Amino acid sequence: MMSQRRGIHVDQSELLCKKGCGFYGNNAWQGLCSKCFREENQREKQKQIQEDWALAERLQREEQEAYASRHQKTQSQSAITPFSKFEERKTKEKSSKVNTVTKFFIPSTKTPPKKDTSFDSHSSPSPSSSASRHSFNDGDQATREFIDFLKPLKSGREIFKQCRAFTESMVYKRDIGADELSECVQDFYQNLSDRLHTQFKGSTDHVESVMDEVEKYMMTRLYKEVFCPETTDDEKKDLAIQKRIRALHWVTIEMLCVPVDEEIPEVSDSVVKAITDVIEMDSKRVPKDKLACITRCSKHIFNAIKVSKKEAASADDFLPTLIYIVLKANPPRLQSNIQYITRFCNPSRLMTGEDGYYFTNLCCAVAFIEKLDGQSLNLSSEEFDLYMSGQASPHWPQPSGASLGAAAGSAALSQVHKRLDLLTGLGERQERVMEKARQLESDLIDWTDEVEQKVQSVLDSFPPEPENPAAPAASGTTAAPAAAASSAIDSDNVENELLPPPLQPQVFAG
Amino acid sequence: MAAAAGGSRTYSFKVVLLGEGCVGKTSLVLRYCENKFNDKHITTLQASFLTKKLNITGKRVNLAIWDTAGQERFHALGPIYYRDSNGAVLVYDITDQDSFQKVKNWVKELRKMLGNDICLCIVGNKIDLDKDRNVSVEEAESYAESVGAKHFHTSAKLNKGIEELFLDLCKRMMETAQADERLKGNGSSQSASSRRGVQIVDDEPQATPSGGCCSSG
Repeated sequence: MMSQRRGIHVDQSELLCKKGCGFYGNNAWQGLCSKCFREENQREKQKQIQEDWALAERLQREEQEAYASRHQKTQSQSAITPFSKFEERKTKEKSSKVNTVTKFFIPSTKTPPKKDTSFDSHSSPSPSSSASRHSFNDGDQATREFIDFLKPLKSGREIFKQCRAFTESMVYKRDIGADELSECVQDFYQNLSDRLHTQFKGSTDHVESVMDEVEKYMMTRLYKEVFCPETTDDEKKDLAIQKRIRALHWVTIEMLCVPVDEEIPEVSDSVVKAITDVIEMDSKRVPKDKLACITRCSKHIFNAIKVSKKEAASADDFLPTLIYIVLKANPPRLQSNIQYITRFCNPSRLMTGEDGYYFTNLCCAVAFIEKLDGQSLNLSSEEFDLYMSGQASPHWPQPSGASLGAAAGSAALSQVHKRLDLLTGLGERQERVMEKARQLESDLIDWTDEVEQKVQSVLDSFPPEPENPAAPAASGTTAAPAAAASSAIDSDNVENELLPPPLQPQVFAG
Repeated sequence: MAAAAGGSRTYSFKVVLLGEGCVGKTSLVLRYCENKFNDKHITTLQASFLTKKLNITGKRVNLAIWDTAGQERFHALGPIYYRDSNGAVLVYDITDQDSFQKVKNWVKELRKMLGNDICLCIVGNKIDLDKDRNVSVEEAESYAESVGAKHFHTSAKLNKGIEELFLDLCKRMMETAQADERLKGNGSSQSASSRRGVQIVDDEPQATPSGGCCSSG
């Protein structure tokens, strides 16, 4: 009892939050309450980011010093540096006052932690925080990666500042049309890449890689706002193409003249992979990643064609196969994805790159599917209508078919009859088996009864002899004391019940 | 679409390859980019998108060659393929009069859609089969001249005429690009041309589906 009370006493003090805020803490939160723990955690994250930036800054400074010492005459370079630093600091101060969710990602070395925690714990509902809360975690991740990428760059801070400002401004623009949104984003890409070329003297490859990261960061954050926006009829188009593809489920490889042979395991494997990849496109957020899915899908298609045809695939082979894959996959939100990529992808990638080529082919495949008619499948328009309405299917013979169809039909019918006969035969056999089983069961019961009767009759006819009860040598008598002993134990057990109940521990006062 | 890198320019051109099936489009481009013909040991996975880096009079040129599906049923998709392209190679089989007719249709369509921005090359392929020729040299060359295109005779099998064809096409595309630049002034040319391209990407899919192109065929 005393230990119990002491336990409670100790717990009471340990259960409380270590910060002494009066709430209960939790071991999983290092003895803090949820609120205090979150504050602590945010502060640590903040510190980590600050340290990272400090490191990046130091490295940059060292690099610049090394550069300056190597090129003594380029004094202008070093003259610029302090000014740009000053500007950076100014930005930092300014940004620390901006009350948004992105705030604690900003390298605000001067922000006192107190201010930060108060913001985080109360999560004041600033206009953009509610808007971007749902994509918070992805945005968080994207921002982190973006910062990591920009760290080693001289102009990293500047780029980040611009991208963040632009992304935030876009959130307020979501009511304008999708084309205007696209225009804004494309203008931003253009201006930024121009600036990277001229101001920061980046090489083409370098600028490309920076622009890739910029696209990734911005589109991850903006995805929810600009993918399939309400201002467009993208969703309607999605449903239309989805319905259309479903209605075309009967299209076969032969109709499209697809040069792949799915009998070959490797080919069917590639086909499945291609289908998976084109479906996966919808799960990606960044236009570049979506394009990568299309490219992977295309590579699998090429592989399937190459294995089937034993030669490199040309566009004549590729496009029909892609159409076939799209028909089989029925990728979710196909039109939205295509529109999203055209609107927000880096234009250079879309216009000349390999990814752009595959994307164009996908657009072609979709356009073809939308306009598909009997002629383009080498079918008469009557056949096409029959297939579309579901009254006939190329997989089974037409009901209105001629003698060939009738013959095929009767063959199928006789096969059905044969199967039915087989089924009834099987049923009968099962009945018989069940009957036999029941018989066996009753036989077994009869047999045990019989045995018991026999034993009884034998015992009756040979009653135990009372003349020599104490003959120790007889085998029968050795069993008798054993039986007695066992019964004695049993009786012992019976006697147990007569014993008084076990003593109950008694409680004494004091 | 030509992009600048520092002082020296690098041109990137998109070239579409048009022509009926079986005229040897794929062989032509594989021969040009990989110098292969009917190779038993093909390492290339595909021959539908190929690139080639060139150096013409000190200027670097990146060529992206887009193969298109030549079957009649895909004819209506042409505009999606050739938007924003700088050049087009129209291939026909000299033994096949039909394929030459198809080329004529393509030319009409391209001129209608892209005007004179695009450089055209008409190519009579399979000159190794000259004894079976069905399209006369004079007819083809006079037609090419009448539509402002250059005419070439090639053989992917014998590797004849292909280098010349692409070299000439590149030179003409460079001239067009330079003229374009001069026209638009120097400073804003890049952003202007790129913006134009973006807008076309946005608007074209809806604006130019199939249309009247099939009626001529």
